[in-house]
Amino acid sequence: MSEPAAPPFAALEELAAGEPVAVGQAGPTGIPGRARSERIQRAIAYTAMFAISLLFFVPFLWSLSTSFKPLSETANFALLPHNWTLAGYRTALGDYNFARYMGNSAILAVTVTFTSVFLGALGGYAFARLRFPGRNILFFLVLGTLMIPDQLRLVPIYRMLTVFPVTHWNLVDTYQGYWAIRLVSATALFLMRQYFLTIPRDLEEAAKLDAAGFFKTFWRVMLPLAGPALAAVAILEFQGTWNDFFWANLLLQSPQHWTLPVGLAQFVFTYRTLWNSLMAATMIALAPVVLVYLFFQRYFVAGVASAGVKG
Amino acid sequence: MAIAVPKRRLFGRTRQPGAAREALVGYAFVFVPMAVFILFFIYPMGYAVYISRFDWGILGPLGKVGWKNYTSLWHDTLFRRAVKNTIEYTVWVVPLQMTLGLLLAVIVNQRIRFRTFFRGAFYFPALASSAAITAIAIYLLNVDGLVNKVFGLHKLWFYDPKTALPAITGLNAWTTAGTMMLFYLAALQAIPTDVYEAAAIDGAGPWRQFWKITFPLLKPGHFFVAVVSIIGAMKIFDQAYIVSRGTGGPDYSTYTVVLYIYNTAIRDAQLGLAAASGVVLFVVIFLFTIIQWAFFGRQEAA
Repeated sequence: MSEPAAPPFAALEELAAGEPVAVGQAGPTGIPGRARSERIQRAIAYTAMFAISLLFFVPFLWSLSTSFKPLSETANFALLPHNWTLAGYRTALGDYNFARYMGNSAILAVTVTFTSVFLGALGGYAFARLRFPGRNILFFLVLGTLMIPDQLRLVPIYRMLTVFPVTHWNLVDTYQGYWAIRLVSATALFLMRQYFLTIPRDLEEAAKLDAAGFFKTFWRVMLPLAGPALAAVAILEFQGTWNDFFWANLLLQSPQHWTLPVGLAQFVFTYRTLWNSLMAATMIALAPVVLVYLFFQRYFVAGVASAGVKG
Repeated sequence: MAIAVPKRRLFGRTRQPGAAREALVGYAFVFVPMAVFILFFIYPMGYAVYISRFDWGILGPLGKVGWKNYTSLWHDTLFRRAVKNTIEYTVWVVPLQMTLGLLLAVIVNQRIRFRTFFRGAFYFPALASSAAITAIAIYLLNVDGLVNKVFGLHKLWFYDPKTALPAITGLNAWTTAGTMMLFYLAALQAIPTDVYEAAAIDGAGPWRQFWKITFPLLKPGHFFVAVVSIIGAMKIFDQAYIVSRGTGGPDYSTYTVVLYIYNTAIRDAQLGLAAASGVVLFVVIFLFTIIQWAFFGRQEAA
């Protein structure tokens, strides 16, 4: 059995960690006249690269600047606001309820991250270390879920949450319903299992002699050793939930339950020309993910890369 | 990387005292995750097929119709339009994402200063939520927006049936390029350096080296990125929903297959028909997944 769709390439984690990248274009040495042409080539390359990275930043910078403009200036073709103001943020957070949406997003993202990390680690540990009949079949099921697209699940999940099997709860438009379907992801469990497999067994053997129970071994010995994997999973789940539009839009229907992406979409539908408030709300939606990215880039890219692999 | 199934220890078969306890603990640890996966992934897959065989309204099944929902889809002009739009989008966005991703990966793979900065910059748009990115796009592409001003245009972009889908295509090529860059970067690392050294001795310049060596040797990389990109493109929903208020407009030009599933289920409360279209989309995506598994499974074995 092979990992779904893993590219047979160098470890993505290594790339993500910013390890020295093996250089594809080997610089030929000892050929006369090479040095100068190489320098020119390099200058061109740097100019092109800064130009391209500008292309990637400009839309964000332009929007950031707009979020600090008064509404009257938003039609101006000016890079910086003439009169800096927080009016856009005040209007968005206050009048248009984005403070509420921000709180909802934070609650959901944090709780989903916690359960996903904990359950993913617990399950990952069991699949990596404990022996029980049917383990391989169950793990195969876990991997199989990666192939089931959300778009297929839309109708049955919506129906199940409208009239929950057996109990007949209506969980549409509740946090509980949203939590239930995102409690833990196969990616989280899979990443944790793979990481636990790399930890030498001796460490647990010592704990076992100590007569520590399985949970204690997991909690006291394995978890502290799994820092990088826990970080990658936490960041992946946080970003996934914070940014989620598909399920939040489907399930969280009443305005008091909206998350930032849903609130943003609704704001676009109704007040799209209040550009400064719209951009302020957009910046609020971007900020946490950008901050996490700036501080934990290596874990971030590792997690996203391995999640992207699932297709 | 293959999943390393832990080696069975020498006497693993013999039941030691405590084996039963270990098994019990194992089941306890995987219980909640397995319950989630079975209840919200495995079961819904079968349930989707089940629902798709009924005329199913908002209150429940109205009657069994067999495969009629599937034939209805075939004759549904709106569904056909959605398929056409989704294919059109896919045909454009996949080569764009691949080209951009490869370009960025080659840049970042050079022996350069600020490599981490560039990689961060190129990946940046991939961080943002689809809603935030779409809001920014709507702002930049409005009549008085930055794009029109810079290029001296007066286009309506998202309000013009001719430009709405291309605008979404460009938007997503831009945001996903960073992710494709990561995959290409990984593929570039797999090319051995000595090939380039030999080429350089033979006097091949960087341009020739790229087309004669890098590009052909990236074949598994192209394939992998293409499949990931195709599967992603067929799921296009968020951007189309947000720019059109869920209508798929203007003039159904942004009506995608997933938007069809959503609107048929939620707005029209025709769950049977919606489930059938979900199953059809799944089958197509599944075929691509199988191709990918088959291909990369063999790669690993080699």
